[in-house]
Amino acid sequence: MSRSDESLTQLERNAKLVLEESVRRIDARTRSRLNQARHAALAAAGTRPRAWWASFTLMPAAGAVAAALLVAVVLWHREPARTAPVALDAPHAAVEDMDLLTDNDSIDLMEGWDGSFYEWAAAQSDAGAESNT
Amino acid sequence: MPEFATLASPYSMPAALHGDVDLTDPEEQTQTRALNQFLAGVELKAFKIAQAALRHEDDALDAVQDAMLQLARAYAARPPEEWKPLFYRILENRIRDMQRRRTVRGRIMAWLPLRGEDDDEEFDPIAQAPSLEPQPVRRLELDEAVGALEQALERLPPRQRQAFLLRTLEGLDVADTARAMGCSEGSVKTHYFRAVQALRAQLGELYL
Repeated sequence: MSRSDESLTQLERNAKLVLEESVRRIDARTRSRLNQARHAALAAAGTRPRAWWASFTLMPAAGAVAAALLVAVVLWHREPARTAPVALDAPHAAVEDMDLLTDNDSIDLMEGWDGSFYEWAAAQSDAGAESNT
Repeated sequence: MPEFATLASPYSMPAALHGDVDLTDPEEQTQTRALNQFLAGVELKAFKIAQAALRHEDDALDAVQDAMLQLARAYAARPPEEWKPLFYRILENRIRDMQRRRTVRGRIMAWLPLRGEDDDEEFDPIAQAPSLEPQPVRRLELDEAVGALEQALERLPPRQRQAFLLRTLEGLDVADTARAMGCSEGSVKTHYFRAVQALRAQLGELYL
């Protein structure tokens, strides 16, 4: 892997010497920071990145949610369309009248009718109209 | 107490914190130790290579740190003999990313009002003070040689500089340099030859 010094020219040998000297002169602050960086890197080596297959652990839950959504959409589309309300026709109205007639509450209301008051009020209004003319 | 003599230093087992019970298996511990040894062996040279390319100390530190992290995360399980070319390949990619980002940042900054490059750096009187330590002649010669070589390296094209530093400083052979640079062995030889020619033209054969 490494080169032997015998094969180097004088310039290369000198350059190697000078470069090694410049490495030796690296200050303590830089050495300390490099040391910290190395320890951080070694600590990171222990924390393996998440494997690609780990993402499949959530697949069953995701599948269940997707299936539930699919069923909901299908059921919603298969529901019969709501029909618009139709106009009341005569037979329909008659049926409603029958309902009113057969309803006990409605009969009680009719029995509690106070007709005398309304007859008196109508006579009063008629008399007022005649006196004005 | 002979049993205490077998205890490793806390710094040799960075995966476990002090006082924690280490539950990692022995194989993983061996790998971590080997990786630690490898990174400790290349970190200073890698920093110099990154610094020569980026010409900025903090950027060079960031690039080396990122390369270490990437190697540890993605390639720790690979055979240790593959680590060196892989590490330098990652470092080179990181350096290129940073250079590209710097170019973009430079274009954006060109539209902004002028601002000194060193505005963010605080003045450190201790760092700026001249050293009182007497400098021997040899040290002065080396200072000059280091400065001259670093300047000459800065003038080299990036690929030539990379080939030269990987071969000369890191001592990689042609095949590993080719793997680290992501090119053919023939290209490595060409880049290296041209780098040596350019340095010889700038420095002379016996510049030291």
